Amino acid sequence: MTSFAGYVFLNTAFVLLISPLFISLIKKAKAWTQGRNGPPLLQTYFMLAKLMKKEVVYSSTSSVIMRISPYLNLTFLLAASVFVPLLFIPEPAAGIGNVFFFLYLLVGAKFFMALAGLDAGSTFGGMGSSREMTVSAVIEPVVIIVFATLAFVFKTMNLHEMFAQSLGASLPLNPAVLLISISLFIILIVETSRIPVDNPETHLELTMIHEAMDLESSGPNLAMMELSHAIKQTLLMGLLINVLMPWGLALEAGPVGIGVAAIMFILKGSILAVVVGFIESSLAKMRLFRLPALFMQAFFFAFVTILFEVLGRL
Amino acid sequence: MVGVVLFNSGLAAFLFALLLPLPFLLSPDKRVRYLSLWLHLLASALFLCLSLVILTTNQPVTMAAWQIIPQAGFSFIIDRLAAFFVFIISTVSLCAGIYSLRYEHGESDSGKGLLASMMSLFVLSMLLVVVSSNTFSLLFFWETMSLSSFFMVMFDYKQQLTQKSGIFYFIMTQMSTLFLLFAFLLMYNLTGSFDIRPLSPAYGGSPTMKAILFLCLFTGFGIKAGVMPFHKWLPYAHSASPSNISALMSGVMIKVAIYGILRFVLFTLTPELWWGIVILLFGAVSALLGVVYALKEHDLKKLLAYHSIENIGIILLGIGLSIIFNRYNLPQLAALALAGGIFHTLNHALFKSLLFLTAGSVVHATETRNIEEMGGLVKRMPATGMLFLIGAVSISALPPFNGFVSELMIFQALFQSYRIGDPFVEILLFVVLSMFALTSALAAACFVKAFGAVFLALPRSKEAEKAREAPAAMLIGPAILALLCVLLGIFSFQIFSVAGYNLPVPDLLPVGILMVVFLGLTLLAVALLSRGKPRISETWGCGLISQNSRMEYTASGFSEPILTIFRPIYRTSKIVRRSFSDRAEAIFRGGFAEIKTFNLFEERIYQPVAGLVQRLSAKIANLQDVDLDTHILYAFVTIIVLLVLAWWVL
Repeated sequence: MTSFAGYVFLNTAFVLLISPLFISLIKKAKAWTQGRNGPPLLQTYFMLAKLMKKEVVYSSTSSVIMRISPYLNLTFLLAASVFVPLLFIPEPAAGIGNVFFFLYLLVGAKFFMALAGLDAGSTFGGMGSSREMTVSAVIEPVVIIVFATLAFVFKTMNLHEMFAQSLGASLPLNPAVLLISISLFIILIVETSRIPVDNPETHLELTMIHEAMDLESSGPNLAMMELSHAIKQTLLMGLLINVLMPWGLALEAGPVGIGVAAIMFILKGSILAVVVGFIESSLAKMRLFRLPALFMQAFFFAFVTILFEVLGRL
Repeated sequence: MVGVVLFNSGLAAFLFALLLPLPFLLSPDKRVRYLSLWLHLLASALFLCLSLVILTTNQPVTMAAWQIIPQAGFSFIIDRLAAFFVFIISTVSLCAGIYSLRYEHGESDSGKGLLASMMSLFVLSMLLVVVSSNTFSLLFFWETMSLSSFFMVMFDYKQQLTQKSGIFYFIMTQMSTLFLLFAFLLMYNLTGSFDIRPLSPAYGGSPTMKAILFLCLFTGFGIKAGVMPFHKWLPYAHSASPSNISALMSGVMIKVAIYGILRFVLFTLTPELWWGIVILLFGAVSALLGVVYALKEHDLKKLLAYHSIENIGIILLGIGLSIIFNRYNLPQLAALALAGGIFHTLNHALFKSLLFLTAGSVVHATETRNIEEMGGLVKRMPATGMLFLIGAVSISALPPFNGFVSELMIFQALFQSYRIGDPFVEILLFVVLSMFALTSALAAACFVKAFGAVFLALPRSKEAEKAREAPAAMLIGPAILALLCVLLGIFSFQIFSVAGYNLPVPDLLPVGILMVVFLGLTLLAVALLSRGKPRISETWGCGLISQNSRMEYTASGFSEPILTIFRPIYRTSKIVRRSFSDRAEAIFRGGFAEIKTFNLFEERIYQPVAGLVQRLSAKIANLQDVDLDTHILYAFVTIIVLLVLAWWVL
């Protein structure tokens, strides 16, 4: 029990600490491609600290939903963070690590965020909620099929066990895992609201999806929304990294192992973040109704993997 | 022994509740109606105790039979499956009963008295359907259930829409009975008895006979459950009837049909692989199309009705899967899928009746069912809003609520379909898996839309602006259901182990505790770190002076992107006609635009069938409308034909 509490504490603290870093890194990478210097690496931390101190402004239209949803959003994502071990894989605990549980915790966060978007009665918030729910609905079959393939390949539905197995294989370059990583990467892009699906840095509300829902949040509430977005990104990155290249992840708790794992994850995460930044810079945002085509590609890769696996046993 | 006493006293209480208002119909008395409703509550509570006794002791209770005609009579047995459904029915009936204490529908007092009486008859007949131990009494109470619910659908009989809904419902429900009657007679023919008991795989009957039997049973129960394409009555009937009745119909009545499928297809006959696939495919299509149509719907009660179709689809997915896994010798997965389906039956009963009851309060307060004319109600009806939110979160399968657990069980079973070993079935199951995933995500989107349009932002009509919170009784009933939704979610693992089912389901309790801890810590951290006091200001309206409800996103706006993506399913057609004052078509004079959705089922299935029947009847009517001589000729021909037949058969 104490070891589990220790895992929860360490993992959550680590996720909270490094999540803003990756946000800054992506911004930095985008700035480099545009020939700018970009913000300092700690900028996201400064911004969160500043927002925490600011006052909250609520719209007179908004209700209790606006007031509770930042807290619920962060709670859902913190709970989800327990499902993705970034430092070491803990002892198996009941219910922790189940893929569906993880995915639906993310859906829970999204649900309340979308409600908050509708609460203030602003057109932009509603637009954001509507688009966010549309995009998330259309991507869902891809997500499930991707995780079904992972369950198929690793013969388990527990994320912790998947990571452990992936770590156990000396070079986990299983062709199925490679193929599925493409889809996982597309999911990462979609779920973290990045180009070509969404533009996180747009100044035109009409083109926003994710940011539009936050327009009416302010002060600590906005900080919580931003932080939970950062956490979500870290978790999905961690998932991709731990499935594809889990090197460094410790199998049991120990100061050395944890230290190595932390450094390795920050390194791998930074590389992935820079890659995401470059990809964002090299693409243009897609029209909303062109998105299903992109998702179909991801779906295709995932389904082809399943076909290979199923027919490969014949 | 306790079981028999509880059963008989519950039966007596229900009979009193349903008979009591009848003599007072001409001179209605409010007190009589309340007495009847309280008796209804008492009876429901007694049946609830009965089901709990049987579920915990696991001892079936048999009731004495009442012989009516030789070989046929009423006889009852309550085993664990029946007790589970008794639990569902009595719980929902109890909560809907509490709600009905203050729910006033319609103007006439005698109508209200009749409604109370009919409600008791309806609940009683549903209870007796699930405890019937022979097909005769099952069909008798099935028909009572259908008729009593028909009367309640027709409650506002003066409205034209209600008349249409009622007749639609009546025809569909009679078709269901017809199929069941045929199936039961076939079974009688095969076994020589009306008793419902597991038949050995070798009960005679050729494969064709078994196939016909299965198809009749599935169609008969499927119509009542609202399986696509037999679903069309459901949105009509649920939206026309009073809200407490909609809760009972959607929460419970369609579950009685699920009971029928479980009892007959799974436990009486020996299901074959293709039966499982048929059930699975009907389930998947109902689930997906149910939610797709729900997204389009702006009538709050119709929206919920379409979600019932979706959830019935999910339940059927579980049942179909369990048959398939059983045929491939994977009993553990079969048990998981079946438990998922059955647990979803309970969960759907709870959250759907919760949603219907709270929706009833909303409709009552705003005097409209159109969600475009609502909005901002969470401030005016905070308790109702929170209860509806719990229902919405449960039906959207968010952890740690109950809907999540049952969907998770079915998902888990589907995920392990690779263990079947037959590539074609496996690929089919993966296709079904992706459909199910889409369904689940669209349901969440639909409930963001429903909650947002009904409860958030500014009211979009005068009635919504003046809406008041519902009275206490109309909150207590749904509140019990909401509490059950939470408890059955968080403690699902513990409940399964107490019931003796060892299922590979994650324990939600640790994560639930973690979430509470995280929430507490976040609250604490924000309270410590933040300094400013909250300030109230206006929503930014792009520089407009004051915000009004025309600026906010409506339900149509919300679902528009999804409607566009799924346009091939809706087959929406936009007709735009414009006229211009000049030949270059530059000066616009006037125009006409229309958006039409193609009503696939009504236009392609129901109307052609109805037309065929009508043409046939017209032909037959021609034969009938003749003079005496021809009638004598008919009789003569009939005798000849019978003689020839008799000679040929003997």
